[in-house]
Amino acid sequence: MMSRVFAVALALAAGVAPALAQSASPPPIKRMADGKPDISGVYQADGGGANQGLEKRAATALTPGGRGVVVDPPDGLLPTQPWARAENEARRAPERGYDDPTAHCFVAGVPRSTYVPSPFQILQPPGYVVLLYERMSWRQVPLDGRAHLPDSIRLWQGDSVGHWEGDTLVIETRNLNGKTWLDELGGVVTHQEQVVERFIPVDGNNLRYEATVTDPGAYTRPWTLAMPLRRQNSELLEVACLEDDQDLKHLKDIRDAARAAAKKP
Amino acid sequence: MTISPFRTAIAALLVGAGLHTCPLSSARLLAHHSFAAEFDENKPVKVTGKVTTMRWSNPHAWIYVDVAGPDGKVVNWAFETAAVNSLYRAGWRKEDLPAGTVLVVDGWQARNGTPTANAYSITFPDGKRLFAGSPAGPAAAGTAPAAK
Repeated sequence: MMSRVFAVALALAAGVAPALAQSASPPPIKRMADGKPDISGVYQADGGGANQGLEKRAATALTPGGRGVVVDPPDGLLPTQPWARAENEARRAPERGYDDPTAHCFVAGVPRSTYVPSPFQILQPPGYVVLLYERMSWRQVPLDGRAHLPDSIRLWQGDSVGHWEGDTLVIETRNLNGKTWLDELGGVVTHQEQVVERFIPVDGNNLRYEATVTDPGAYTRPWTLAMPLRRQNSELLEVACLEDDQDLKHLKDIRDAARAAAKKP
Repeated sequence: MTISPFRTAIAALLVGAGLHTCPLSSARLLAHHSFAAEFDENKPVKVTGKVTTMRWSNPHAWIYVDVAGPDGKVVNWAFETAAVNSLYRAGWRKEDLPAGTVLVVDGWQARNGTPTANAYSITFPDGKRLFAGSPAGPAAAGTAPAAK
């Protein structure tokens, strides 16, 4: 029985893997009937540790290192306003881990939904692009040029509309609620956050993903992250995240203990 | 030829596990929350015990292990592993880890002091590694090459 486990592990190590192997000549970009790229399929972001922080950093025992995915500003550092930097630092305390919405199985927001370490699927029904995230959320993106929702409506995944610029799918997202974290370290956004995402076909198996975040509530200027998206030879699976979330209870214990300690004279 | 980032990550996991100095915990690769918040880097644990059950639940799978202390008292430890879907995609099935299997587990204990830990390395007594990693490694590993 155990030998099967090792056989699987060795097969994976040898490259017999669910992800599509990248050959010397990757397949060309597929096209829809209207000539637009057919980018439908299941993808995994090569996020380089982005879900644990967008800036470059070394690994610690319990947090993997990050290669840094911020491509603008060129120094790779987020142009964070002082208050947001202070809030970001405060969120790194263990007792703040409970406050990450994804710890509660809430949706991850934009752009984080792309680089949480779970796959997502792109569908292209007529007039739409639909993004299905394995962590049980979705975004439906109309391509008909419609206006965004009224500003008073605020959503975890925002309101997205899309269009093509050549072979690049551009998705503009507004109406975000400012409650999401950009990563587990507590990257800050506010309700002023707006995002422009670009899905740029590289070949038939790879996209380049770029997201420009404009949030004058937390940053001094717009900034952009970028990472590859790799097509997966896989289907989406169920993630009933609330089924047995023992972590959330532990995180709450830590938060409650910290609050109790703070109240003691 | 472009090296598959997936292959690279899996190889890194396996090699790293063999060296016991792997900077990447397989369980950390597919987290829905901060492991650093929940577990204590200053509380490493290493136990040997018998599996009582493995819970295939969301958002993470858990392996429960009976561990006998120096006084003979048995404590049932809970070790958190990767997400169920990542185990499944790596070829795991529920019946692969029957009760009674003896395991050696390295990890970090939960900050709340309970016999709960983040599993960093799981091996059999002969040193062979129990593979519990994630095929989505490049998403979090920070080592994958950029697309060509």
